[in-house]
Amino acid sequence: MLRGFSAVFYREMQMLISRIGGLGYLFSGLLFPMIYLLAFGWGLGDRVAVAGGYFAYLAKGMLAITVMMNGFQQTALSVSAARFYYRNFSTLRLSPISDSALVFGIALAGTVRALAAAAVIFLTARLFFGLEILSLPGLGGLVLTAFAFAAFGVAVGLSIKGQEQFSIIINFFITPMTFFCGSFFPVANLPEAVRQVVQFLPLSLTNQLLRADSFGESSLWEAGLLLAITLCTYAYGVYRVHGYREF
Amino acid sequence: MSIVVENVNCSRKGRSILHNVSLQVLAGEVMGLLGPNGAGKTTLIRLLSGLARPDKGQITIQGEDAAARSVAFRRLLGLVPQENNFESELTIEQSMLCYARLYGLPEPAGQVKAICERFRIGEWRQKKPDKLSGGMKRRAMIARAMLPDPQVLLLDEPSVGLDPDMRQEIWQLLKGLQAEGKTILLTTHYMEEAEALCSRIAFLRGGQLLYTGTCADMRHWLSPQKAISLEDAFVELSHGQLAQEVG
Repeated sequence: MLRGFSAVFYREMQMLISRIGGLGYLFSGLLFPMIYLLAFGWGLGDRVAVAGGYFAYLAKGMLAITVMMNGFQQTALSVSAARFYYRNFSTLRLSPISDSALVFGIALAGTVRALAAAAVIFLTARLFFGLEILSLPGLGGLVLTAFAFAAFGVAVGLSIKGQEQFSIIINFFITPMTFFCGSFFPVANLPEAVRQVVQFLPLSLTNQLLRADSFGESSLWEAGLLLAITLCTYAYGVYRVHGYREF
Repeated sequence: MSIVVENVNCSRKGRSILHNVSLQVLAGEVMGLLGPNGAGKTTLIRLLSGLARPDKGQITIQGEDAAARSVAFRRLLGLVPQENNFESELTIEQSMLCYARLYGLPEPAGQVKAICERFRIGEWRQKKPDKLSGGMKRRAMIARAMLPDPQVLLLDEPSVGLDPDMRQEIWQLLKGLQAEGKTILLTTHYMEEAEALCSRIAFLRGGQLLYTGTCADMRHWLSPQKAISLEDAFVELSHGQLAQEVG
């Protein structure tokens, strides 16, 4: 079913390696999390009371945001540009690679891209703010989140009818999750009705896993839910590729 | 029979693009698809390649249903689209290596080198596509399409925008492929291209197939009394009185 995904992954990575030389590309995905980290860390650092200190709390939140934004945004932009601008998504579509392998290969490349960006944020936070090494649930959460949002990026990149529709997804899905899913402050601070919804969003689960020391009953449940969301976004990506037509 | 198009209808947003088109291309034949702009030539190429689906009717290539897009179908087919769709970040060789991997070729590097030499783009293969002339890009695109050695080659306006010298070179390449027994279907606006390459032509206008046969027979059909050029025949069939009657 996934036979040939490595060829798709190889192609995506070749393009990533050739793009990474461009400073704009390298820093565009890191700029916002870095600004958030420094602005909120310096501005609110000593005024927000959370266990372990606000810098550590915020740094983990920035890791979650970095993985989400890089996984989703770069993948969706890459796929939509391949459709509208470079017009070479058809070369993937015409090749004898299954739809599931195609999505897996692209999403895996998006995962690597997102985790690489997160690694830069982590190293910065560790160097300047002494961020501790991530726990196993935290690492697992980042990997699942990166893959889930990259697969969602494939689906969105194939669904939008023009680049302007991309901002709708960013404004209605990505930005609210950035601010309300426990990256800047605990979800527990939200009003009860809002919290009941927000706690099940993927980025909230990532943040919960990043703050867990080890796998317990709660983090296992969160990891299971995040895995289910990942499988759903992957299936949605495959569905969109299967229905893809060129006119 | 290599390509069979049976009663194909295709519409988009309520507008009919192809209406009841039936066509057959023999194995080893070069067929030209002619017609004015908007006739439906590119749509037919997309339907043949499986990138789009007909509303009604069926297309098979060597017995494989185009709409089903089986792996066997995709291995039969090479497509050279109208626009250069090489990955702009990669060199021609890197792009071709990716393509070779997508098709699961056993020795990607060796096979890419061999096809580049065969199509005389060896000295250009380390360059990115934007450094190549229009003619070299077309040559490279044909080479890429032939890399997995497909039996059927679809070309959408293979020599558009090329100077006469380069056009002749492309024709020589295509004649060489025909001599190897490849089935070729190409769209063109150049009448001399149709006469030089195609054993038969099909003429589309307004989504309807008006004529299938040899160039000579079309000229004679349109003007039995006096000899006319294929270009005159094209104009007559596109806009003349006969077009109204046949259409």
